[in-house]
Amino acid sequence: MLFNKRTERIFIWVFFPLALLLPLFLEQNTFYVSKLTSIMIFALFVMSLDYLVGRCGLITLGHAMFYGLGGYLFWMLAPEYTEVNFWVYTFYVCMIAAAIALVIGFLVLRTSGIYMIMITLAFAQMAFYFFSDSIEFGGNDGLFIYMKPETSIFGLSLFDLDNPIHFYYLCLLSLFNTLVFFKLLIRSRFGRVVDAIHQNPGRTTALGYNIFMFRLMSYVIASALGAYAGYLFTLQYGFVNPSMLAWTTSGSALVMSILGGMGSIYGAILGTFVYEGLHYGLEHMTEHWMLFMGILIIAMVMVFKNGIAGYLEKLLEKRS
Amino acid sequence: MTTSLFFVQLINGLQYGLLLFLIASGLTLVFGVMGILNLAHGSMFMVGAYLAWYFFEHTGSFGISALISAAIALLIGIAIERGLIRHLYRRNHLDQVLLTIGMIFVFNALQSLLWGNDPLGVPVPQALSGAVPLNDVLEYPVYRIFVALLCIAIAFVMYYMINKTRLGMLIRAGESNREMVECLGIDIRRLYTIVFAIGVMLAAVAGVASAPMSSIMPGMGEHVLITCFVVVVIGGMGSIKGAFVAALLVGLVDTFSSVLVPQISSMMIYILMAFILLIKPQGLFSS
Repeated sequence: MLFNKRTERIFIWVFFPLALLLPLFLEQNTFYVSKLTSIMIFALFVMSLDYLVGRCGLITLGHAMFYGLGGYLFWMLAPEYTEVNFWVYTFYVCMIAAAIALVIGFLVLRTSGIYMIMITLAFAQMAFYFFSDSIEFGGNDGLFIYMKPETSIFGLSLFDLDNPIHFYYLCLLSLFNTLVFFKLLIRSRFGRVVDAIHQNPGRTTALGYNIFMFRLMSYVIASALGAYAGYLFTLQYGFVNPSMLAWTTSGSALVMSILGGMGSIYGAILGTFVYEGLHYGLEHMTEHWMLFMGILIIAMVMVFKNGIAGYLEKLLEKRS
Repeated sequence: MTTSLFFVQLINGLQYGLLLFLIASGLTLVFGVMGILNLAHGSMFMVGAYLAWYFFEHTGSFGISALISAAIALLIGIAIERGLIRHLYRRNHLDQVLLTIGMIFVFNALQSLLWGNDPLGVPVPQALSGAVPLNDVLEYPVYRIFVALLCIAIAFVMYYMINKTRLGMLIRAGESNREMVECLGIDIRRLYTIVFAIGVMLAAVAGVASAPMSSIMPGMGEHVLITCFVVVVIGGMGSIKGAFVAALLVGLVDTFSSVLVPQISSMMIYILMAFILLIKPQGLFSS
């Protein structure tokens, strides 16, 4: 069975049908539809980070570099006033991001632990200043993208990206596919080896696996998906700016991932929705939302040992 | 670049580097001894600067305000270690990261709640307000020289404390083998509280010292935090000597690159860090 924990199955059966039906009730209110869309896009990004940190044990504070690159790459590749195909450009953006990740991963994976956190941060900061200090890329203000791509595949066009509801379903589908993809990856032979490396690198090396290659492949996969999330974000709002690459973006993604339950993959969705939900709710209630947000984060670290997913699992699977 | 301009930039770089050392030393001490990655360290720098401003407004004396601020920082450090950090020693690093990020939120919120979001300033104390002439046209503010000397003095005190005193001996012992120290009948928990409080105080003292030199504003902690991480990692996590060398290096590189290559100056320290980590993946002075 693909989803092997009871809590995970329950979550998936609650979340996805609910997410499928939600736009029917929100038809009048496109604000909430776009809000949910952007949370789902970020959840996809957090999920790719969750795989890297929780499953591979490769902690990075530079993942937002790929989120930003997804947007900037699309701007660089696509002609300004011609409509392009969504799927073709998805392929381009992911492939180029993967190639960049291959080079950077080759360098950063030589270090480990806290040093890897810092060297990934260093590369991300370089990319950040590269885009924010340059005139061609619009500096701090970023760039606008005027044309949204069309989504026809074999002559069949399912989504109209100018329609928020269609875009919502595209993102939901992407999120679901990413979840299934990671679950399949974890179950595959590749995923088993990655798990073994996470638990005991020395012993896995002794078994004859080239652990560097497995780590590099994981890094490339997660980075390409991170870029895909950034690409979706850029399409949703029609702009890119350097704050997408800022270290605070990586930091909050890491917080959401830890909050959701590191390495559980579906916890990334939980973490992102809880964090963004609290953020949105508190921001509307009080000007000093950060105080309550901070206290809640501290309280959650103290109470939940393995994030929200870990807590739910403890709650639901004690009796079974 | 003329000789005198070079000389001024050299002093600027050294002075900035020394201040960075003061902040980074607390971070590296806490990591080296306790294995705690304190992301809220930059917030302590901010708290120090705001406290200095607050007590200066109330007492009118910068000296008294500095002493009160340092004492309060020490108490904050003890409270945080006792109340929060202590419960997470047996958990993984990521939980500590999450906890200290939560603390950043709280400190930022308290700052805007208590002191507002407008930039504030503290005047340079009267006795140190002059300038030393370097040559016929250039002069250098006395206060900056005073801060540089203060940083050097603190570096010496720390060196002496860690290498020559009983507390330093315990710190070094706790760094290499926690269980063994406990077996010898030392209360390691008390030691950790002391070390954490000293770390917080060092960051706050740096905040106090930089209050008259730059404006006090929201977000000043986060900027300093990232630069300090660069320093600590270049020097090798946990190494005070490494932090000292790395801080001077980062200070000089940052100052000179903003004069020589202004287009890429904000990238320079990260390029330096990436370069050093690629050659020495554990930093310059790792044990």
